Amino acid sequence: MNTHDQDRIQQLLREALPPTQPAEPARDLWPAILQRLHAPPVAALRTVPLFDWVLAVGLFAFVAIAPATIPVLLYYL
Amino acid sequence: MNTHPYLRAFLSGILVPTLIMPLFLTAFIVLRLGLQISVPIERGIVFPMGLVPIIWGFWNMLWQGSHSGTHLSVGLHGTFLPFLLLPLGTLVATHAGVLRLGATHAIWFSSIEIPYGLIALCFAAALAGYYLVWKYIVGFVNRVLGIA
Repeated sequence: MNTHDQDRIQQLLREALPPTQPAEPARDLWPAILQRLHAPPVAALRTVPLFDWVLAVGLFAFVAIAPATIPVLLYYL
Repeated sequence: MNTHPYLRAFLSGILVPTLIMPLFLTAFIVLRLGLQISVPIERGIVFPMGLVPIIWGFWNMLWQGSHSGTHLSVGLHGTFLPFLLLPLGTLVATHAGVLRLGATHAIWFSSIEIPYGLIALCFAAALAGYYLVWKYIVGFVNRVLGIA
């Protein structure tokens, strides 16, 4: 294969394949990662759905009202 | 490269009951050796200490293998586990002689009577507890271990 053939193949490949997008993101993502890592736990608690809070409160209320059931619950844990 | 996802799922699943296991052992030592209580506690703790952690591990492996097809969340998957544990635990306890099933009450250690209505409430509480534990603890460990 001579140089002319190689140039021809390169040209055909460039025409056949679409131009690739830049591999790197447009902006620096590291500050966003750091922000998430250092986010206070209160922010995480705010994401807990109301339904889960109701379940948790109901569970603790049940155990508080009927503490005799704790061994039964632990047995099946 | 094999990243052993099922092994990681098993380890993630057994974490919670394994952390609680020393509490059972401590309670057993205090009650049996410290307070000299003659109730056969050792027969009663076979199920929670021996079988439950393994079942949790296998249950998480089952979720790992099935959630791509079922799209079931890990919390909801964990909620179904008491439906397996209740009959299994009852079977083990009755065969170990620590539980007798009466007409209206279940009798533990031949002394503690618990009406079935209260057991039903316990079961509902267990469902809520399992949902929360599997969603927030097992789900978190699954994410840390890279299987969710």
